[in-house]
Amino acid sequence: MNWCWFAELATPTAGTLASAEVLDLDGRGVGVLAAWAAGRKPVADAVRMDARIVNPSGAPAWISLVLLSRDRSPLFDDPAVSGALRAVLSYPPPDAVSTFVRDSSRFAGAVTVRRGGPADLHSDPFARLGRARVLRVGPGLFGRAASVPGPVIQRYAGKPWPAPGF
Amino acid sequence: MGADLTTASRFPDLELADHSGVRRRLSELAEGDPLVLNFFRGWWCPKEQAFFRRLVRLQDEAEVAYSRLVSVSVDQSLELSAFRAGLGARWTFLSDSDRIYLDELRLRETTDGLHHPYLPATFTLYPDLTIHSAYNGYWFWGRPSNEELRQDMRAITRAIREDWEVPV
Repeated sequence: MNWCWFAELATPTAGTLASAEVLDLDGRGVGVLAAWAAGRKPVADAVRMDARIVNPSGAPAWISLVLLSRDRSPLFDDPAVSGALRAVLSYPPPDAVSTFVRDSSRFAGAVTVRRGGPADLHSDPFARLGRARVLRVGPGLFGRAASVPGPVIQRYAGKPWPAPGF
Repeated sequence: MGADLTTASRFPDLELADHSGVRRRLSELAEGDPLVLNFFRGWWCPKEQAFFRRLVRLQDEAEVAYSRLVSVSVDQSLELSAFRAGLGARWTFLSDSDRIYLDELRLRETTDGLHHPYLPATFTLYPDLTIHSAYNGYWFWGRPSNEELRQDMRAITRAIREDWEVPV
């Protein structure tokens, strides 16, 4: 299975594949990000994410997080989403990236992982689709994934891009 | 003895640095999809520039058709990255700047004693790297047209996708 569940929580919880505390740019704790193995949906707000970017031994990272509510989620095939995916393929590759999907047709956001610093995330292409929060994530959640081999921008059977395979 | 690069042979699973310097395997870049693999002399060759403008026009179709493109040359990763950005290409470029596969693949262009580049060649591959078609691009007209590449991608996709005939 090359996707997993992902959600933002107020406090840590048991049974996750990986999780880490999150700080904002001012260093204030703003909760926890967690990933769960594919299977039964763990929490109501969970979205699907490419499992290849999760690493329980991963180093701390800066992320740009776009999480859209159900009523703000565009179709994944919306040209705005396609344009953001093309931009990801054109820009210098991040340490890891995954879109989120909540169902078979809607784009629910994205996470972009970089370790250089928060300034590297200010041109997140997914910020065109919703509010992007730049956050500091503790160790134990995100790893590094090889850059996406383009030019494919389509999802496979409703999986979160760039997770491959039908 | 060099690799057999004819139809139905398995293309070697090259491992090279990509345009951002990260080592990649060809089989990983295919990710289960049909693949257009092209070897090119270098960014400086006008014939390659013309051919890449053709491939860039094809990428809009490839990106929605679950098909991959990979380009290989002896340029350094940084040169490839700049060339790729200038073209507006969104696929992976691989650098064989150490020329480790030139002779194994028998794709050394012996008539260029200055750059020691790859002989221009294009292959269409199944996801397991089996060769569907091979095109010798030493003369520009030997290179595949976008229509030929479409036909190859169609044939490979038809062969590997169980639902090519729409499920009823």
